[in-house]
Amino acid sequence: MSERKTGKSGGWSRRGILKAGATAGAVSALSIGTPTFFIKDAWAQKAIGNFPVKGKSVVFGFNVPQTGAYADEGADELRAYKLAVKHLNEGGGMLETLKPSSLKGNGLLGKKVEYVVGDTQTNPDAARTSARRMIERDKVIMFGGGSSSAVAIAQQYLAQELGVIFMCGLTHSNDTTGKDKRRYGFRHFFNAYMSGKALAPVLAKEYGKDRRAFHLTADYTWGHTQYESIKQFTEKEGWTTVGNIMTPLKATDFSQFLTAVLNSDADVLVLNHYGKNMINSLTQAVEFGMRDMQKNGKQFEIVVPLYSRLMAQGAGPANIDGVLGTTNWNWTLQDAGSQAFVKSFEAEYGFPPSQAAQTCYVQTLLYANACERAGTFYPPEVIKALEDFEFEGTGPGKTLYRGGDHQCFKDILVVRGKGPDKKKGKYDLLEIVDQVKREDVIYPVNTFPGELGPYEPA
Amino acid sequence: MSGSLINHVFLQILTGLQLGAIYVLIALGLTLIFGTLGVVNFAHGALFMLGAYFAVIIAGKFGFLTAIIAVPFLLFIIGIIMERGLIRFFYNRPHTDQILVTFGLAIVVQETLKWIFGANNIPFPLPRWGGGILKLHEWLPFLEGFVAYPKWRMILIFVSLVTVAALFALLQFTRFGLIVRAGMRDSEMLRFLGINITRRFAIVFGLGAMIAGIAGAFGGPVTQVDPEVGMAFLVPSFLVVVIGGMGSLPGAVLAGFMLGMAISFSAQYSAIQQIIIYLVAVIVLLVRPRGLLGQKGVMEE
Repeated sequence: MSERKTGKSGGWSRRGILKAGATAGAVSALSIGTPTFFIKDAWAQKAIGNFPVKGKSVVFGFNVPQTGAYADEGADELRAYKLAVKHLNEGGGMLETLKPSSLKGNGLLGKKVEYVVGDTQTNPDAARTSARRMIERDKVIMFGGGSSSAVAIAQQYLAQELGVIFMCGLTHSNDTTGKDKRRYGFRHFFNAYMSGKALAPVLAKEYGKDRRAFHLTADYTWGHTQYESIKQFTEKEGWTTVGNIMTPLKATDFSQFLTAVLNSDADVLVLNHYGKNMINSLTQAVEFGMRDMQKNGKQFEIVVPLYSRLMAQGAGPANIDGVLGTTNWNWTLQDAGSQAFVKSFEAEYGFPPSQAAQTCYVQTLLYANACERAGTFYPPEVIKALEDFEFEGTGPGKTLYRGGDHQCFKDILVVRGKGPDKKKGKYDLLEIVDQVKREDVIYPVNTFPGELGPYEPA
Repeated sequence: MSGSLINHVFLQILTGLQLGAIYVLIALGLTLIFGTLGVVNFAHGALFMLGAYFAVIIAGKFGFLTAIIAVPFLLFIIGIIMERGLIRFFYNRPHTDQILVTFGLAIVVQETLKWIFGANNIPFPLPRWGGGILKLHEWLPFLEGFVAYPKWRMILIFVSLVTVAALFALLQFTRFGLIVRAGMRDSEMLRFLGINITRRFAIVFGLGAMIAGIAGAFGGPVTQVDPEVGMAFLVPSFLVVVIGGMGSLPGAVLAGFMLGMAISFSAQYSAIQQIIIYLVAVIVLLVRPRGLLGQKGVMEE
């Protein structure tokens, strides 16, 4: 289709090309919606999205931030995706530990797995454009990626609209599997609610119950829900929230906000920041002497509710020394699944994977496994195979993919930054303080509003 | 209560000065180049960013003091090369052409740095003598209790003020300054008088780049060093130039610190904070269409 268009474009007017583009778009939309009776295998299942898959290979789309505040995470996600595809085709990694598993390590349903890559630019509009191109031009059967919840949610809606399953990467907003949950979107990563539930008791134990907290919050869906959740659970422990400032995602200098924190009577600073935002705000908070300060007769503390090894590395061991937060997974975990993944990742790239890499890797395997279990790429069947699927061997303990909201529930980690004198090696930056059990972070499905929507897109 | 109010206001003013200090340094070069050469240099943010990258690399290898001396010098040379190699061909072209070519150059620099160093920020550790906090309550009797501020940001304010003073002295008390100031008023007349303005133009451009280098070396640890920092500072710096009055150096200084204060004092009100600099620009331009200290005839036919 695109070849036809570009072949003649030399002599065309701009208007002509626009018109042709619009027509071509309409034709492709029609062909997606029309049942393809004349395709042999499709007699029982109508065409949805890019199903049925033609040819000897099946294509996955990996849409990650290669630029923007979360570019670090995106680069690591891509490494994990490539590794997952390699393992699906050739075996190895978590294919040996995932239970129950139908994966054979020789491709997927008899087809070789291939992939295409896109850049979300940490921007929902760019992500949608990139995802649409993958779906319409590259005919991907599934797409995945993150980071940024705003990006993930935008892609989830697109997934539902076009009938192509989206396996979320790094997204921590409650909305992703809350008010914006979609039948065609799945999340393995934990969320802000679980972070709050796991972290608050530890904070109360370490810092006391009569603390006064000031929040700095990234101004978009993730920041907003994390602020809500951390506020809710710390206040339950007896803390007071004295203030919150929404900071732009693009901010690099946080001094004016930090001055406001200094001017308040807070004795704890909560940074609802991720990626570069957190690296900058934490570094600057340390520069402002906040780690050495006494307020209300107590030592001033900084908390980073969503932590990652990559961020710890960016901020540097001196700045993260002793700072508490939560993380979905860390490469030092000793269970068989984590170790299998870490070993193969290190063999391929020479350094350990991040939590972003782990969640993307697991998501790809889980999707493939669901296809094998369903025996088809037909999206409604694959979705049903994922819903309420319980498995182990991808991290510590058992994991449940809850059917009601497409959220995974598993053990999560409360971690503390390791200072320069405590770390062993460049990547050993997070000390696991507590492995919070799945039973302790799970919540009823009706905690958040929202509907998944139909199995077959309208 | 009144004591803590003084503390609050004092800290906010300090933050405002410190935020303004970087804007002033960038805008100073920008307005200097515009005022003398009539070129709207959209690559000025990129020069600032280059300064920050050079500083972080040189500081890492040879120590921070070397970086402070080497970076402005390097940027001076880059400025002259840029003027001789590219900008001078655009003196007689419309402003739109100048904007396109300098903006394009900015993107080239940004993408090149991204290609070499990656899209992520490079940690810029403070030199040992610049880290830590200054306990201001020990110096200033009107402050109550414990009031501290990062030493580095105080240094930044100081460096910014010294640079401003040095530039004004250069323009006010030297023959070179006299010619440049005359050129800012009427460069055509200067040519008629047989003064070789071309060579001085290159030096002025170099000076502008050099100040951007100073901003990069001292501002880098504050703004962080990543490929997007140039663009992030470009727009506010242009607003500073416009609010101050196109081509007016005192105006740029005044407007720079004014925007810093506006950002600092609106920090707690998220909704206003993100538009405050544009709000200030609108109000100033409504009241004074040429900016605070803008002169008649600049950028007007």
